[in-house]
Amino acid sequence: MAKDIIALFQYEDDFIAAAKALKESGFDNINLMSPIPIHDAQKLLGLKKSAVRYFSFFGAIIGGLCGFAMATASALVFILPTGGRAIISIPPFLIITYEMTILMGVLSTLLGFHIVSGLPAWSDAVYRVESNIDRFSLAVSFDEDDEPAQAEKIVRDFGAEQVTEWEPSL
Amino acid sequence: MTDYREPSYADVNRDVLRIMLETGSQYWTVLGISISIALVCFFGPWMYQLYVGVGAAGMNRSAMWGSYLSNFIFWIGLSHSGTLLSAVLHITQSDWRKAIYRSAEAMTLFSLMTAACFVMVHVGRVWFVHWSAPIPNEMGLWPNFRSPLMFDVMAITTYLTASSIFIYMGSVPDYAAVRDASTGLRRRLYTIFSFGWRGTAKEWHTLGWAYMFFAVFVIPLAVSVHSIVSWDFALSLVPGFHQTIFAPYFVCGAIYSGTAGIITVMYLLRRCLNLQRYIGEIHLDNLGKLLLTLSLIWIYINIIELFTGWYSGTSFEHEAVKFKLFGYYAPLYWEMILFCAVVPMLIFWNKIRLSWNKMFVISILINIGMFTERFIIVATAQPRKFLPDAFGFYFPSLVEFSITIGSFAIFATLFLIFIKWTPCISIYEVKETLKPLRRAA
Repeated sequence: MAKDIIALFQYEDDFIAAAKALKESGFDNINLMSPIPIHDAQKLLGLKKSAVRYFSFFGAIIGGLCGFAMATASALVFILPTGGRAIISIPPFLIITYEMTILMGVLSTLLGFHIVSGLPAWSDAVYRVESNIDRFSLAVSFDEDDEPAQAEKIVRDFGAEQVTEWEPSL
Repeated sequence: MTDYREPSYADVNRDVLRIMLETGSQYWTVLGISISIALVCFFGPWMYQLYVGVGAAGMNRSAMWGSYLSNFIFWIGLSHSGTLLSAVLHITQSDWRKAIYRSAEAMTLFSLMTAACFVMVHVGRVWFVHWSAPIPNEMGLWPNFRSPLMFDVMAITTYLTASSIFIYMGSVPDYAAVRDASTGLRRRLYTIFSFGWRGTAKEWHTLGWAYMFFAVFVIPLAVSVHSIVSWDFALSLVPGFHQTIFAPYFVCGAIYSGTAGIITVMYLLRRCLNLQRYIGEIHLDNLGKLLLTLSLIWIYINIIELFTGWYSGTSFEHEAVKFKLFGYYAPLYWEMILFCAVVPMLIFWNKIRLSWNKMFVISILINIGMFTERFIIVATAQPRKFLPDAFGFYFPSLVEFSITIGSFAIFATLFLIFIKWTPCISIYEVKETLKPLRRAA
């Protein structure tokens, strides 16, 4: 199977146009890397609403339930009658619930980010340092029936400054 | 000579990473002085207090709370603008936030850590601090979650965790930039910190969503934290504390002092690290307007606080108001009014609002005033509760003065370490504010 190629672009619009052309020509395994988030690139790859939101929502709900349960359980394990107040006091326990809702919401969002984005990924994946400075890089992986030469021609036609084959360092 | 032209993408990487990767002798000197002050003024006296007992502080039987608590409120307050402002401005898509938010969030984090140090100092027997965690301890005790002090534990732990995650996640793409620009051990470390970030469309997409949720969670959290700190006071029956206005009063005061703190920190960063290209007039202008608005709200709440005391019709509240305005600590009260209500009115003038030097001085004065405010709250109400024959008096001891000075050194030390550890300006977000790299443009 052919090696991956990675093309560097100076301009964002060339980069997006090249990616669009590759998609239209049937190259589906493309990866778009940029120094800033580009909404057109995300749209092109069909990225819509992120699944992170489920982690945030359910994490927050679970956190709230756990917060109330924790305050209630502590009150029941160590009963402390004070001035005739209820052992399970709803108003103060709601504050603990509120804080735990947020704490678990944040932690589960973090977990969601890692699961959805696939990070951490320390393997030697296709990458050009320039794409974290001032260039846009477009990486293409090939299937058996793809023609690497055609992909290379497309990216060059759209103004790629450099096209290199990706060789992971050992 | 300072270059004020709009930087290119590569300039942003170079200018911001230079701060981290090039370290001069001046930096080490300032860091050394800061660590020394923290050790001598904070940790030394604290060890002394641990040895002789909490009696080393000026607290006494009628004044159980002293400067440690006012310091705690001050530092929690200072922490408020960073993360809160960053989150609000992120959601409202205010571009001017992008150059300043990282350092403002760091301010939040380190102010919270400094505040946490004061909890440790205040509790006396710090080795029992784990009793406030909901875990079975050797005495079979469980925390009483009906207590506002337990609300504090939960709120501050949550705020510290959320703020740390918020600043860390926003820094991941920049850690990748540090990784790419460094070699050796630093490269290995930042490879781990950046999680192997490559800036793919999917990574940006997921980060964007996650970051938005962090911001959404952080805003109500920040408001709840200082409300809860205020309930440490307001849920008691002590005259001068027992007021419903306390929660908005504390939250407003916190954002007010935090915004002033951001101006102070931005001034120093801009001047000491040559960041004039990135931190400019627009930031000063917007922060100035915010400060002015907050000062007006703060004045209003202060008037309402006095009015509530007067309108209550109880002699205890009248006495508390009278002592605050005309008692032993009245000079401090009027100093607070001067610095927090009168001086900020100068910001109405464009000439003052757009001058970094003048705004720096005003921001310092506001924070002196806000520090005084917290001291007055603690020192004037609690020692003088209901019965005049049980009235006491509180004046901080030398140990407390020293620990207060040391806390500023702790904050400075943490911040100095931060600027070498994390890009103090968000590289990728500043790039978003520049002219886009488009052929059409």
